[in-house]
Amino acid sequence: MGRYLLRRLPSALLVLLASSVAIFGLLRLVPGDPATTLAGADAPPEAVAAIRAELGLDRPLGTQYVTWLGDVLTGDLGRSYLIGGQIADLVRSGLVNTLVLTAAALLLAVAGSLVTSLLWARVERGPLDSLLTSVNTLALALPTFVTGVALVLVLGIVLRVLPTGGTPPAGFARDPDIAVQYLLMPAVCLALPASAALTRFLTEALRTELAAPYVTTARAAGVRSSRLLVAHALPAALPTYLTVLGLQAGGLLGGAVLVEAIFSWPGLGQLAAQAIDRRDYPVVQVLLLLSVAVFVVVQLTTDVVHAWLDPRVRIGGLT
Amino acid sequence: MTRLDRRTFLAATGAGLATTLLTLPGCRSAVEQASAGPAGGPTHGGRIAAGILTDLVPANFFTNSSLGVTTVVGLAFESLIRYPNDTVEPTPRLATSWELAEDGLALTLELRRGVLFHNGREFTSADVESSIRAYADPRWNGQLRRTAAAITFFDTSEPYRVTLGFEHPLGNVFDLLDTVPVVDAGSLEQLATGEAFVGTGPFKVTSWEPGTAITFDRHEGYWVPERPYADGVDVRVITDATSLLSSLRSGQIQLANGLSYLDLDNLPSDAFEVLTAEGAEQQLYVGTDVTAGSLADVRLRRAIAYAVDRQRVVDEVLRGGGYPINLPWPRYSSAFDEARNERYARDVAAARALVAELGEIETIPYTYPVGNPLVEATAAIVQADLAEVGITVELDPIDQAQFTKRLIGAELEGIWTTFHSWAQYTPSTLTVSAYPFNAAKNASNYRSEEYAEHADAAWRIPDGAGPEAVEAYGEVSEDLLEALFLIELAVVLPRYGISRRLSGVDWTKRNEILLTDAYLGGG
Repeated sequence: MGRYLLRRLPSALLVLLASSVAIFGLLRLVPGDPATTLAGADAPPEAVAAIRAELGLDRPLGTQYVTWLGDVLTGDLGRSYLIGGQIADLVRSGLVNTLVLTAAALLLAVAGSLVTSLLWARVERGPLDSLLTSVNTLALALPTFVTGVALVLVLGIVLRVLPTGGTPPAGFARDPDIAVQYLLMPAVCLALPASAALTRFLTEALRTELAAPYVTTARAAGVRSSRLLVAHALPAALPTYLTVLGLQAGGLLGGAVLVEAIFSWPGLGQLAAQAIDRRDYPVVQVLLLLSVAVFVVVQLTTDVVHAWLDPRVRIGGLT
Repeated sequence: MTRLDRRTFLAATGAGLATTLLTLPGCRSAVEQASAGPAGGPTHGGRIAAGILTDLVPANFFTNSSLGVTTVVGLAFESLIRYPNDTVEPTPRLATSWELAEDGLALTLELRRGVLFHNGREFTSADVESSIRAYADPRWNGQLRRTAAAITFFDTSEPYRVTLGFEHPLGNVFDLLDTVPVVDAGSLEQLATGEAFVGTGPFKVTSWEPGTAITFDRHEGYWVPERPYADGVDVRVITDATSLLSSLRSGQIQLANGLSYLDLDNLPSDAFEVLTAEGAEQQLYVGTDVTAGSLADVRLRRAIAYAVDRQRVVDEVLRGGGYPINLPWPRYSSAFDEARNERYARDVAAARALVAELGEIETIPYTYPVGNPLVEATAAIVQADLAEVGITVELDPIDQAQFTKRLIGAELEGIWTTFHSWAQYTPSTLTVSAYPFNAAKNASNYRSEEYAEHADAAWRIPDGAGPEAVEAYGEVSEDLLEALFLIELAVVLPRYGISRRLSGVDWTKRNEILLTDAYLGGG
């Protein structure tokens, strides 16, 4: 396995290196540049030139690239001149906020879908089932920017029971009761479509299991219906559920970008939008490289697992 | 299938909701925590919560280019003098009195004693020198850099008196002294990186999380007795205008800077107040590239000036938060002249006649930055007005970064719309500081020795408000009206939305919020 991993490693590193060149080069092709953004509309060209020199943008592109790559490889992600602060701190802070939001949404989606599915699976076809289907379809179909704005309007402005946006002033750990209130609306907004999709899959899976012969036998043997559902049908339905959950988790990370904007949640999505808007090359470069690195690691892990499961791949080096 | 009847389902749902409702009162409320403050009249205590649309950019500290910068400068720093909002007559701040030499080549300032920086160090004349020298450094890109660079001599031999020597008389030197924030010389490098913001203002910056929040605490050693009222200010960076509005309406913040004029118009007046920052004017204009095709003929530029319906822009776009102009000067400016300001009042017939004289006119690109609803709506109105007189323009919306680069590089071919500022100061400041008006090089590619001479002469008159200066501004105004490389549309007055629980909010001519006298009350 170790030899297989060693064989795969060079291509992964090559992908990272090629990506770094592409990211660096493509960003320079985007119209606008950090020096003029920093200088502002009232700045004369000589002021722009001074800022360009200060940022090192007047050096040849090759030199800029080599310096940047060398710094990144030595763990120095650099400083953001247009957003401010160390890039490592910006990314760390954004990553924590995004992960907290996504984890909370995932938790709500799982809890919501489990409870709803366990109740719904016992509902017979009829008006109540139709109503639940309609509500579920609505939750699945409503875009997050609609549910987000509706939640803010009702819970934040009309009822004033939850904050309309932002992160807890004292952080997540110090005042957990306050932190939960800041998290609730964005997490619900993000979780709603995922929860609806999971509910749909799990309910159908549970119904299939409940109709299976082994359940009929168990019921005939006097097993209580609640035990049948929780102890027999649910474990059998979980593999399908987990597959869908895995797909939804990735979707939640992507969906967080929009929710961050609606609720002023300073996560990675907000950071990326801000950096692109200001042409903050070093920050955009790091964020893009980070996403490529995550992809490469996931791909590498998948390949390794695949090789572990299938000896033909391991021996032949095929993927 | 195991059956769940409706009663059981509803009972389970009800139990869930009841549990949630019973649990909630046991928790502290995040909304109440965010909007907590003492009730009653002016009183000490409480923290003011504010929201701004754009974050601080430390490298831009000496410009007023983002709401983050103006917020930090307004709350944590002070200048040597301060202009009242409706004049350019200096009043004491860190300087208590001043005397201009008869030849206009030196200015002596007496400095306030007992002023402490946030780090406890006393403010002296050396800080005046270091602050002005920093401002003159091109890396900081201060808009009044030319004026700062013309100060060539500093006498700081006495701690509470400083004499500034000028290369030539500077009619706008007090504009500079009103603009330059006095900074602690020892922390200038940390200021550039956002690691420290050490001033003498009523609040000190205690933390800054880029893109998230700026926290200020009261400066206990502030030189004004019993001020500020508030214990601190918590500023949230809310980059989405809708979220900013929601935060204000929900009571999470008491002050919002950056709301659209339409949203401000719709705020319920019983709970909110809209403050109009008279004195911190900006100008909305149509710029022209005078070397681009038919625009090289001044008759086309005049036709555009006659065709645009400025009053419609003021009514529909600015919702009354401004007024129409032909020249950049606000009404209280010594350069303002009613007759000149109406030279190009809307006259469709005159515009059509000029267009007819010109014959065939090519389609003109009309560029503007996207993301600003005021500019976008103005562009639509201008396009319709020009079509009415036979001028076809093609809208070319581009993002702000791209727009700024092309503007500074004088690469905008055709016409464009954006804002400029600095006309609210001594009129000569505009032509030596705002790039669109720069006589040597500007975005319009306009060159005129006469204009350059008039602008420079106005700048060098020692008394920037005297009759000689006013006459010189008249000549500059005539140049601007004749050349029309910038077609002014309207003065724009910044507006803030504030909760009625917050009183005593003030501002400077650079749109910096002042909360020295602000306090949280009832409402």
